[in-house]
Amino acid sequence: MAHFDTEYQRLEASYSDSPPGEENLLVHVPEGSKSPWHHIENLDLFFQRVYNLHQKNGFTCMLLGEIFELVQLVFVVAFTVFLANCVDYDILFANKFVNHTDSSKVTLPDAFLPVDVCSARIRDNVFAIFILIISGVFWLHRLIKFIYNICCYWEIRSFYNNALKMSMTDLSYFTWQEVQGRIIEIQKEHQICIHKKELSELDIYHRILRFKNYMVAMVNKSLLPVRFRLPLLGDSVFYTRGLKYNFELIFFWGPGSLFENEWSLKPEYKRGGNRLELADRLSSRILWIGIANLLLCPVILIWQILYAFFSYTEVIKREPGSLGARCWSLYGRFYLRHFNELDHELMSRLSKGYKASSKYMNCFMSPLLTVVAKNVAFFAGSILAVLIALTIYDEDVLAVEHVLSSITLLGICITVCRSFIPDKHMVFCPEQLLKVILAHIHYMPDHWQGNAHRYETRDEFSQLFQYKAVFILEELLSPVVTPFILIFCLRRKSLEIIDFFRNFTVDVVGVGDTCSFAQMDVRQHGHPAWMSAGKTEASIYQQAEDGKTELSLMHFAITNPHWQPPRESTHFISLLKEKVHREAAAGQQGIIAENPAFTSTHSLQSDSEPRSLIANLLMGPPSLASLHMGREGTINPVSIGVSEGASALRSLSPVSTSLHLRGSYPSARLPRPDHPAVVAGRPMTGSSTDARTISSGSSAWEGQLTSMVLSEYASTEMSIHALYMHEMHKQQSRGEVSRHTWHRQESDESSESVNEDIEAARTFPRSSTFPTTSHQAGAAQQSGSQRRWGGTSDPVSGSFRAQRTPRMPMGGWSEENQMSRHHDPVPEEGSEDELPPHIHKV
Amino acid sequence: MNCRSEVLEVSVEGRQVDEAMLAVLHTILLQRSTGKFHYKKEGTYSIGTVGTQDVDCDFIDFTFVRVSSDELDRVIRKAVAEFKDALGNSGSDGMGQISLEFYQKKKSRWPFSDECIPWEVWSIKVNVVNLANEQERQICREKVGEKLGEKVINIVEVINRHDYLPKMPTQSEVDNVFDTSLKDVQPYLYKITYQITDSLGTSVSTTMRRLIKDTLAL
Repeated sequence: MAHFDTEYQRLEASYSDSPPGEENLLVHVPEGSKSPWHHIENLDLFFQRVYNLHQKNGFTCMLLGEIFELVQLVFVVAFTVFLANCVDYDILFANKFVNHTDSSKVTLPDAFLPVDVCSARIRDNVFAIFILIISGVFWLHRLIKFIYNICCYWEIRSFYNNALKMSMTDLSYFTWQEVQGRIIEIQKEHQICIHKKELSELDIYHRILRFKNYMVAMVNKSLLPVRFRLPLLGDSVFYTRGLKYNFELIFFWGPGSLFENEWSLKPEYKRGGNRLELADRLSSRILWIGIANLLLCPVILIWQILYAFFSYTEVIKREPGSLGARCWSLYGRFYLRHFNELDHELMSRLSKGYKASSKYMNCFMSPLLTVVAKNVAFFAGSILAVLIALTIYDEDVLAVEHVLSSITLLGICITVCRSFIPDKHMVFCPEQLLKVILAHIHYMPDHWQGNAHRYETRDEFSQLFQYKAVFILEELLSPVVTPFILIFCLRRKSLEIIDFFRNFTVDVVGVGDTCSFAQMDVRQHGHPAWMSAGKTEASIYQQAEDGKTELSLMHFAITNPHWQPPRESTHFISLLKEKVHREAAAGQQGIIAENPAFTSTHSLQSDSEPRSLIANLLMGPPSLASLHMGREGTINPVSIGVSEGASALRSLSPVSTSLHLRGSYPSARLPRPDHPAVVAGRPMTGSSTDARTISSGSSAWEGQLTSMVLSEYASTEMSIHALYMHEMHKQQSRGEVSRHTWHRQESDESSESVNEDIEAARTFPRSSTFPTTSHQAGAAQQSGSQRRWGGTSDPVSGSFRAQRTPRMPMGGWSEENQMSRHHDPVPEEGSEDELPPHIHKV
Repeated sequence: MNCRSEVLEVSVEGRQVDEAMLAVLHTILLQRSTGKFHYKKEGTYSIGTVGTQDVDCDFIDFTFVRVSSDELDRVIRKAVAEFKDALGNSGSDGMGQISLEFYQKKKSRWPFSDECIPWEVWSIKVNVVNLANEQERQICREKVGEKLGEKVINIVEVINRHDYLPKMPTQSEVDNVFDTSLKDVQPYLYKITYQITDSLGTSVSTTMRRLIKDTLAL
C-alpha cells in the first residue's frame, strides 16, 4: 500500500474546554455605587428635609430645638399639675399662718404640700389623671417622631457633608439658591432623580411645595371656606393652624385622602366619570373627621389654653404693647404667597412690608377713641405719679395691700391708652403707603387702589394683617369652631373640591402630580387683564385671580435666574422686562436732556459705574421728574405709579442702602472704569432686559457679599415689576382713571419744609462713609431740586408725550398729578425713620 | 415616585391568560438578565453566558424567546398560575393586573430594615373576554398573537432608551442589585405582584405602613 505523502495533517487540538470564568476573554470593572445618594426613593421628603435643615441652620440647632420642645411639653404638663394640686394657696395668700419656731418669714417651700399628700390628691383627681394620660400618649408619640426625625436628618446631614460638600458650621453662610445650585450640579453625577439627566430649579420647588401650591391655588380660587359673613362682625376671615392642619389631613395625607402617596393623586380622582360618587365619599370623610375633631375638642382646647398661657403671659407682662402689635395672618400668608415661593422668601418679603403696613394701619385712629384715651391716660397717670412719689418717699407704701398691683395695672392701662393716641408728627398718606406695601406684598385687590383712605379698605387689609391678640384669640377658639366649619361649610364644597383636583392636576415627568397653576403657564392660566391678553387661552374658571400666574412667573424667574422657562414664558418675561426698562429709560432721558448739570454728573456716573433702571428709580430723579412732567400733563400714569412707589421704596427699605453700597463698591475701590469687576457688573446693572444677565453677574462676582446683595437686588427688581404690573392692570381694567385725592390739611402745609430738611439730612450719613455715593445722591437731589424750581418744558418729554398719548386713558390727569404732589412727602417722612438703620448698615 | 413605570394592556381569552403573561414577563426578563458574574481578585469580573430558547404557545399564534433557565421559568410560571387562579376565582368581569417590579436594596442604619427601592415597574393589565364560538376563537388566536408581537417591540423600544440602570456592583454589593439565587442566570432583583380588578387602593399592609410613616413624618 502506497504511502501517500500529502501536506494534509491532522490538526492538533490546541484549545481545551476551560471552565467558565477562567478565561480572560472579557473582563469588566464594576463601577460600584460610590455614593449612597443615587436614586433616592422619596425625593419629595428628601428635598423637604434638605430645605428644612438649611432653614434651621444646621443639625445641632435643630436637634437642640427639638429636644427643648420635648422638655417644654413635659414642663407645661408637670407644672400645671403641680400648681393645681401641690400648692397650699392659703399659705401664699396669708390666710393661714405657718407655725415657725425660728422666724416669722414665710418661705416658698412652706406653701408646698408634702409629697404624700400631694400624690394622694393627684390620685384622687380623675381629671388630672385624664390629662396626664392624654399628654403622656401625646408625648410618647412626639418622642418616637423625634427619634425617627433625628435618624432621617442625620442622613441629610451626611448628604450635606459628603455630597454637597458643605459642612454644618458653614451652612449659615450659604443661601438656599446656592444649596439648590449644588444639588442640580450633583444630579449629573449621582442621579438623585432617575427620570431626568438634569434637574431644574422648578422641579425642586415643585417637590418641596407640592401641597402648599395646591393650598395657595385653592385660596386663590376661593375654594376653601375661610371667609364668613357674621351677623355682628361683618365679613371676616377665619383661618387657623388647626383648620389648616385639618384641610391638609383631608386632602393630602390622612387615611383615605385624595392622594395615594406624596406624589400622585389617586387614579379614580383623575377621571371625571364618577365625580358624584367621589364627592359623596369625600363629604362623608369630612363628616367623620369633623366628628373626631368635635370629640377631641376638649383636649385640644385645654392644650391650646395652657400653651397660650405659658408662652404669652410672660411677654404680655414684660411689654403689654406686644398685644397691640400686628402680624401677618395665616390667611394673608396664603393670599399673598406666590406659586412656588418657599417659606423664607415669603417671610422676608412680608417682613419688609411690615413697617409700612403697620404705619398704614396706624393711620386709622378713631378720633373719638383718641379723646377718651388721652383723658384716661391723664387720670391714670396722675394716680400713678402720686403712688410712685409716695413709694419713693417711703417704701412701706408698697406693703399696703393692693398698692403694688394697682401700680402695675395703672402702668398697663397707660400703655394701652398711649397706643390709641396718634403720633404728633405723623403724616397721613394712605395711598402712598399702600403703594409701598404693594411693592413688597405684591398682591392686592383692585378696589383698594384709590380707596386707601377708606375704612373698608383698612378692614379688608386687617384680614391679612391682624392684631397679635386677635391671632391668639382665634387660635384659642379654633378647636371649638373647626369641627363646625368642617361639617357645615367644607362638606358642601366637596363636589367643587373633587372637580378642582381633577381639573388642576397635571402629571409632570419626573415630578409626579402637581397643581397645574404651579406650572405658571401664562397660556393655560393667565388672566387677560394682567398683561397676558392674547397669550392666554384660559377660561374664566382656569384663570388665576389677582394676576397670580403672571406675578408668580416673574417672581420665580427673578429669584432663580438660572432657570430656563418654557418658550412662551420666556417671551412674556422678556417683553415685560423690556417694557419696564423702557418706561424707566424714558423717564430718565427727560431729565438728562433738560438739565445740563445733571447730564454731566450722570455721564460721569455712567462712566464709572453703570446703573440699572432700578438704581435709577431708587436714586430718585425719575420720581421727581415725573412729578414735574406730570404737572405739565405729559406723563404716563404707569411710570408715575411705579416711580412713586420706587421713590417710596428708596426711602423705606434698606435695599437702597445695599444697592448704593454695591454701586459704590467697585468704583470706590477700583476707580478705573475698565476694570474687570466693573465690566462684569455692567451687564448686570446695565441696560439688561433679560433675567439671565443677572446670573452672568453672579458668576463673575464670587463671594458671600455679592450673593446677599444679589438677592436684595432681585427682591427690589421684583417689587418694581409688581408695581408696574399692578399699574398696567389698573390701566387696562379701568377705562378711565378716577382717583380720589385725599389728604389731611396738615400734610399740605408741612410737606415742603419737611422735604428740604430731610433732603439735607439724608445726604449726611452717606457722605460720611461713602463719598462716591453721597456725591451721586447729592447730585440727584440737586438735580431734583433744580427741576423743582426751574421746571421748564423740555423737548424730550414732549416727544415722550407724543409717543404715549394714544395709550393714555382720558381724563383724571390733573387729579393724578395733584395726588402725587401731595403724597410726595411720605417717602421723605419715611426716610427720617429709616435713617438710623441706614447708618448702622453702612 | 423615583421610578419609571410602563403600562401594557392586553385583552385575551381565559385560556390564553397564562401564555400571554408568560410571553410578556419572559420578554422583559430576557432583557433584564445577565450571565452570572465571576469576580476576580483585582475587583474585576467576567460575565457568564446566557442561553436563549424559543417557546411556542399552544393557544396563541405566537413564539417568544426566553432565557433558557428552568429555575427562572418555574418561578414565573408559579406566579402566573397564581394570578390565573385568582382571576378565575374572582368571578367578576375578569380584570386584573400583574406587575413586574425591578428594585434595588439599600442598606440602612440600625433602626430601619433594608429598603427596597424600585427603579422600574411594568404593569400588565389583563382583560379577559368570553368568546361564543370556535370561529371567533380562531380570529382571537391570531389577533392576540399580533398584539403580543407589538408589545414585544414596545418593550424592546423602552429597553433601548438610555435610561437609568443601577450601576454594576462590586462583589459585596451584588446582592443589592441582582438576584443571585439562580444557578445559570442572574436577573436584576425583581418582584412579581398581582391585583384583581382595580380594587380600591392598595393592600391593607401598605396602607398601614404609610399611615405610620405619615404620622411620624408630620
